[in-house]
Amino acid sequence: MTYYSGKDGNLTYNGSQVAKVSNWSVSSTVETLDVTNLSLNDRTFVPGLRSSTGSATIFYYDQAAVPLLGRIIKTAAVGESDILAIRLGWGTSKFIEGPCIITSGELSCAVGEIMQATIQFQFTGAPTNVGL
Amino acid sequence: MSFSGPGFPDLVPTARSMSPGDFASKVFRSQSGIEARVQYGNKAFNKTLDLEYSNVSEADAAAIFDHYQNCKGTLYIFGLPANPRKGNPTFDPSIAGETSATNRFGSRAFGLKYRYAEPPQFNSVKTGRMSVIVKLIGVLDS
Repeated sequence: MTYYSGKDGNLTYNGSQVAKVSNWSVSSTVETLDVTNLSLNDRTFVPGLRSSTGSATIFYYDQAAVPLLGRIIKTAAVGESDILAIRLGWGTSKFIEGPCIITSGELSCAVGEIMQATIQFQFTGAPTNVGL
Repeated sequence: MSFSGPGFPDLVPTARSMSPGDFASKVFRSQSGIEARVQYGNKAFNKTLDLEYSNVSEADAAAIFDHYQNCKGTLYIFGLPANPRKGNPTFDPSIAGETSATNRFGSRAFGLKYRYAEPPQFNSVKTGRMSVIVKLIGVLDS
Protein backbone atom coordinates (compact mmCIF):
# COMPACT_ATOMS: atom_id res chain seq x y z
CA MET A 1 0.00 0.00 0.00
CA THR A 2 1.36 3.38 -0.91
CA TYR A 3 0.29 6.89 -0.26
CA TYR A 4 0.95 9.43 -2.94
CA SER A 5 1.75 13.06 -2.35
CA GLY A 6 2.72 16.14 -4.27
CA LYS A 7 6.34 15.06 -4.61
CA ASP A 8 5.17 12.09 -6.75
CA GLY A 9 3.41 14.36 -9.22
CA ASN A 10 4.67 15.40 -12.61
CA LEU A 11 3.38 16.95 -15.79
CA THR A 12 4.69 16.32 -19.28
CA TYR A 13 3.72 17.68 -22.68
CA ASN A 14 4.61 15.87 -25.93
CA GLY A 15 7.00 13.72 -23.89
CA SER A 16 8.91 16.57 -22.22
CA GLN A 17 8.62 17.04 -18.49
CA VAL A 18 7.61 20.47 -17.23
CA ALA A 19 9.83 21.67 -14.38
CA LYS A 20 8.68 23.41 -11.23
CA VAL A 21 5.05 22.36 -11.30
CA SER A 22 3.34 23.52 -8.11
CA ASN A 23 0.10 21.62 -8.56
CA TRP A 24 -2.14 20.06 -11.15
CA SER A 25 -5.68 18.75 -11.13
CA VAL A 26 -7.92 16.92 -13.56
CA SER A 27 -11.67 16.42 -13.70
CA SER A 28 -13.86 14.21 -15.90
CA THR A 29 -17.62 14.48 -16.24
CA VAL A 30 -20.23 12.56 -18.22
CA GLU A 31 -23.48 14.15 -19.32
CA THR A 32 -26.63 12.16 -18.77
CA LEU A 33 -29.36 11.71 -21.37
CA ASP A 34 -32.90 11.46 -20.05
CA VAL A 35 -34.68 8.41 -21.50
CA THR A 36 -37.65 8.41 -19.14
CA ASN A 37 -40.72 7.33 -21.06
CA LEU A 38 -44.39 7.58 -20.18
CA SER A 39 -44.58 4.07 -18.70
CA LEU A 40 -42.01 4.79 -15.96
CA ASN A 41 -42.28 6.36 -12.51
CA ASP A 42 -38.60 7.17 -12.05
CA ARG A 43 -36.23 9.25 -14.10
CA THR A 44 -33.99 7.00 -16.19
CA PHE A 45 -30.76 8.02 -17.87
CA VAL A 46 -28.09 6.72 -20.21
CA PRO A 47 -24.53 8.07 -20.40
CA GLY A 48 -24.04 10.94 -22.79
CA LEU A 49 -20.87 12.73 -23.78
CA ARG A 50 -17.80 12.76 -21.57
CA SER A 51 -15.47 15.70 -21.14
CA SER A 52 -12.28 16.13 -19.15
CA THR A 53 -10.56 19.30 -18.09
CA GLY A 54 -7.53 20.07 -16.01
CA SER A 55 -5.39 22.83 -14.63
CA ALA A 56 -1.83 23.29 -13.47
CA THR A 57 0.20 25.94 -11.71
CA ILE A 58 3.81 26.26 -12.72
CA PHE A 59 6.48 28.46 -11.11
CA TYR A 60 8.01 30.79 -13.67
CA TYR A 61 11.50 29.38 -13.20
CA ASP A 62 13.68 29.95 -16.26
CA GLN A 63 11.56 28.75 -19.18
CA ALA A 64 9.54 26.12 -17.29
CA ALA A 65 6.11 27.50 -18.08
CA VAL A 66 6.85 28.89 -21.51
CA PRO A 67 6.11 25.83 -23.71
CA LEU A 68 2.59 25.65 -22.31
CA LEU A 69 1.89 29.37 -22.08
CA GLY A 70 3.24 29.81 -25.59
CA ARG A 71 0.39 27.74 -26.95
CA ILE A 72 -2.11 30.44 -26.09
CA ILE A 73 -0.22 33.64 -25.32
CA LYS A 74 1.38 34.47 -28.67
CA THR A 75 0.99 36.77 -31.61
CA ALA A 76 -0.20 34.06 -34.00
CA ALA A 77 -3.64 32.51 -33.87
CA VAL A 78 -4.17 29.32 -31.89
CA GLY A 79 -4.45 26.38 -34.26
CA GLU A 80 -4.66 22.62 -34.26
CA SER A 81 -0.86 22.46 -34.10
CA ASP A 82 -1.21 23.81 -30.54
CA ILE A 83 -2.90 20.62 -29.35
CA LEU A 84 -0.51 18.95 -26.90
CA ALA A 85 -0.27 15.42 -25.55
CA ILE A 86 -0.41 16.22 -21.84
CA ARG A 87 0.37 13.55 -19.29
CA LEU A 88 -0.43 14.06 -15.62
CA GLY A 89 1.49 11.54 -13.57
CA TRP A 90 1.91 10.45 -9.98
CA GLY A 91 4.15 7.59 -8.98
CA THR A 92 5.19 4.73 -11.24
CA SER A 93 2.69 3.78 -13.98
CA LYS A 94 0.08 6.15 -12.54
CA PHE A 95 -0.97 8.69 -15.10
CA ILE A 96 -3.66 10.19 -17.31
CA GLU A 97 -2.62 11.14 -20.81
CA GLY A 98 -4.45 12.65 -23.74
CA PRO A 99 -4.53 15.38 -26.36
CA CYS A 100 -5.34 18.77 -24.83
CA ILE A 101 -6.06 22.30 -25.88
CA ILE A 102 -4.73 24.97 -23.54
CA THR A 103 -7.88 26.98 -22.90
CA SER A 104 -6.52 29.50 -20.44
CA GLY A 105 -3.11 30.88 -19.55
CA GLU A 106 -2.57 33.25 -16.69
CA LEU A 107 0.63 34.88 -15.50
CA SER A 108 0.80 36.53 -12.11
CA CYS A 109 3.54 38.66 -10.67
CA ALA A 110 3.28 40.14 -7.19
CA VAL A 111 5.63 41.80 -4.74
CA GLY A 112 7.10 39.26 -2.33
CA GLU A 113 5.93 36.25 -4.32
CA ILE A 114 7.49 34.01 -6.90
CA MET A 115 6.08 34.63 -10.32
CA GLN A 116 3.91 31.77 -11.50
CA ALA A 117 1.71 30.73 -14.38
CA THR A 118 -1.66 29.02 -14.23
CA ILE A 119 -2.92 27.08 -17.22
CA GLN A 120 -6.19 25.34 -17.83
CA PHE A 121 -6.66 22.72 -20.50
CA GLN A 122 -9.44 20.77 -22.14
CA PHE A 123 -8.98 17.18 -23.26
CA THR A 124 -10.07 16.69 -26.85
CA GLY A 125 -11.33 13.17 -27.51
CA ALA A 126 -10.80 10.26 -25.16
CA PRO A 127 -7.66 9.92 -23.00
CA THR A 128 -5.08 7.93 -24.96
CA ASN A 129 -3.61 6.24 -21.88
CA VAL A 130 -4.80 5.87 -18.31
CA GLY A 131 -3.17 4.14 -15.36
CA LEU A 132 -5.06 4.75 -12.15
CA MET B 1 -61.63 4.85 -48.29
CA SER B 2 -57.99 5.42 -47.47
CA PHE B 3 -55.10 3.01 -47.92
CA SER B 4 -54.04 1.34 -44.68
CA GLY B 5 -50.39 1.14 -43.77
CA PRO B 6 -48.65 -1.06 -41.19
CA GLY B 7 -49.17 -0.39 -37.48
CA PHE B 8 -47.01 2.23 -35.85
CA PRO B 9 -43.87 0.89 -34.04
CA ASP B 10 -44.77 -0.30 -30.53
CA LEU B 11 -42.57 2.21 -28.66
CA VAL B 12 -43.41 4.12 -25.48
CA PRO B 13 -42.90 7.85 -26.09
CA THR B 14 -41.07 10.16 -23.70
CA ALA B 15 -43.70 12.86 -24.21
CA ARG B 16 -47.12 12.99 -25.79
CA SER B 17 -49.61 15.74 -26.46
CA MET B 18 -53.07 15.63 -27.96
CA SER B 19 -55.62 18.09 -29.26
CA PRO B 20 -59.12 16.64 -29.78
CA GLY B 21 -59.99 18.37 -33.06
CA ASP B 22 -63.44 19.73 -33.82
CA PHE B 23 -66.82 18.78 -35.29
CA ALA B 24 -67.75 19.72 -38.83
CA SER B 25 -70.04 22.73 -38.75
CA LYS B 26 -70.86 25.86 -40.68
CA VAL B 27 -71.73 29.29 -39.42
CA PHE B 28 -74.39 31.40 -41.14
CA ARG B 29 -74.40 35.02 -40.13
CA SER B 30 -77.15 37.40 -41.18
CA GLN B 31 -76.66 41.07 -42.00
CA SER B 32 -78.05 41.91 -38.59
CA GLY B 33 -75.28 39.88 -37.00
CA ILE B 34 -77.46 37.02 -35.82
CA GLU B 35 -75.55 33.76 -36.05
CA ALA B 36 -76.82 30.26 -36.83
CA ARG B 37 -74.58 27.19 -36.68
CA VAL B 38 -75.26 23.93 -38.49
CA GLN B 39 -73.54 20.75 -37.43
CA TYR B 40 -72.55 18.45 -40.32
CA GLY B 41 -71.27 15.41 -38.48
CA ASN B 42 -71.34 13.62 -35.15
CA LYS B 43 -67.64 12.91 -34.92
CA ALA B 44 -64.77 15.24 -34.24
CA PHE B 45 -61.88 15.08 -36.67
CA ASN B 46 -58.47 16.62 -37.17
CA LYS B 47 -57.44 15.33 -33.78
CA THR B 48 -53.69 15.85 -33.47
CA LEU B 49 -51.36 13.59 -31.56
CA ASP B 50 -47.70 14.53 -31.12
CA LEU B 51 -45.29 11.85 -29.92
CA GLU B 52 -41.81 12.67 -28.75
CA TYR B 53 -39.07 10.06 -28.50
CA SER B 54 -36.07 11.66 -26.79
CA ASN B 55 -32.64 10.02 -26.74
CA VAL B 56 -33.89 6.71 -28.11
CA SER B 57 -31.66 4.11 -29.75
CA GLU B 58 -30.94 4.37 -33.45
CA ALA B 59 -32.83 1.10 -33.97
CA ASP B 60 -36.00 2.67 -32.52
CA ALA B 61 -35.54 5.80 -34.62
CA ALA B 62 -34.99 3.62 -37.68
CA ALA B 63 -38.25 1.75 -36.96
CA ILE B 64 -40.15 5.04 -37.06
CA PHE B 65 -38.34 6.09 -40.24
CA ASP B 66 -39.15 2.76 -41.91
CA HIS B 67 -42.79 3.05 -40.83
CA TYR B 68 -43.02 6.51 -42.38
CA GLN B 69 -41.56 5.13 -45.62
CA ASN B 70 -43.91 2.12 -45.61
CA CYS B 71 -46.88 4.45 -45.10
CA LYS B 72 -45.78 6.38 -48.21
CA GLY B 73 -45.23 9.44 -46.07
CA THR B 74 -48.44 11.21 -45.17
CA LEU B 75 -50.58 9.10 -47.53
CA TYR B 76 -51.61 5.92 -45.65
CA ILE B 77 -53.63 5.70 -42.46
CA PHE B 78 -52.66 3.34 -39.63
CA GLY B 79 -53.54 2.34 -36.08
CA LEU B 80 -51.54 2.83 -32.91
CA PRO B 81 -50.52 -0.21 -30.84
CA ALA B 82 -50.56 -0.16 -27.02
CA ASN B 83 -47.15 1.29 -26.17
CA PRO B 84 -47.50 4.70 -27.86
CA ARG B 85 -50.64 5.16 -25.70
CA LYS B 86 -49.05 3.86 -22.51
CA GLY B 87 -48.88 5.75 -19.25
CA ASN B 88 -52.30 7.40 -18.97
CA PRO B 89 -55.46 5.31 -18.43
CA THR B 90 -57.29 7.69 -20.71
CA PHE B 91 -55.03 6.59 -23.58
CA ASP B 92 -54.20 3.04 -22.65
CA PRO B 93 -56.69 0.28 -23.58
CA SER B 94 -54.92 -2.22 -21.31
CA ILE B 95 -55.86 -0.11 -18.28
CA ALA B 96 -59.43 0.59 -19.36
CA GLY B 97 -61.41 -1.05 -22.18
CA GLU B 98 -60.74 0.14 -25.69
CA THR B 99 -64.13 1.77 -26.03
CA SER B 100 -64.52 2.61 -22.36
CA ALA B 101 -65.49 6.14 -21.47
CA THR B 102 -62.25 6.41 -19.52
CA ASN B 103 -60.33 5.61 -22.70
CA ARG B 104 -61.59 8.84 -24.16
CA PHE B 105 -58.28 10.06 -25.60
CA GLY B 106 -57.66 6.95 -27.71
CA SER B 107 -58.32 7.28 -31.42
CA ARG B 108 -61.02 4.57 -31.51
CA ALA B 109 -63.20 6.55 -29.15
CA PHE B 110 -63.19 9.17 -31.89
CA GLY B 111 -63.67 6.61 -34.68
CA LEU B 112 -60.38 7.81 -36.10
CA LYS B 113 -57.28 6.39 -37.65
CA TYR B 114 -54.02 8.22 -37.87
CA ARG B 115 -51.80 9.42 -40.63
CA TYR B 116 -48.63 11.49 -40.49
CA ALA B 117 -49.44 15.18 -40.39
CA GLU B 118 -45.93 15.95 -41.59
CA PRO B 119 -42.61 14.11 -41.99
CA PRO B 120 -41.14 13.12 -38.61
CA GLN B 121 -38.13 15.06 -37.37
CA PHE B 122 -34.95 13.13 -36.56
CA ASN B 123 -32.25 14.76 -34.45
CA SER B 124 -28.90 13.14 -33.76
CA VAL B 125 -27.91 13.37 -30.09
CA LYS B 126 -24.74 11.30 -29.92
CA THR B 127 -23.41 8.06 -31.32
CA GLY B 128 -26.24 5.54 -31.11
CA ARG B 129 -28.83 7.99 -29.75
CA MET B 130 -31.41 10.06 -31.58
CA SER B 131 -34.50 12.08 -30.77
CA VAL B 132 -37.60 11.86 -32.94
CA ILE B 133 -40.68 14.06 -33.07
CA VAL B 134 -43.75 12.53 -34.72
CA LYS B 135 -46.85 14.58 -35.55
CA LEU B 136 -49.97 12.56 -36.32
CA ILE B 137 -53.41 13.64 -37.33
CA GLY B 138 -56.66 11.70 -36.77
CA VAL B 139 -58.79 11.11 -39.85
CA LEU B 140 -62.26 9.73 -40.24
CA ASP B 141 -62.07 6.75 -42.56
CA SER B 142 -65.14 5.87 -44.61
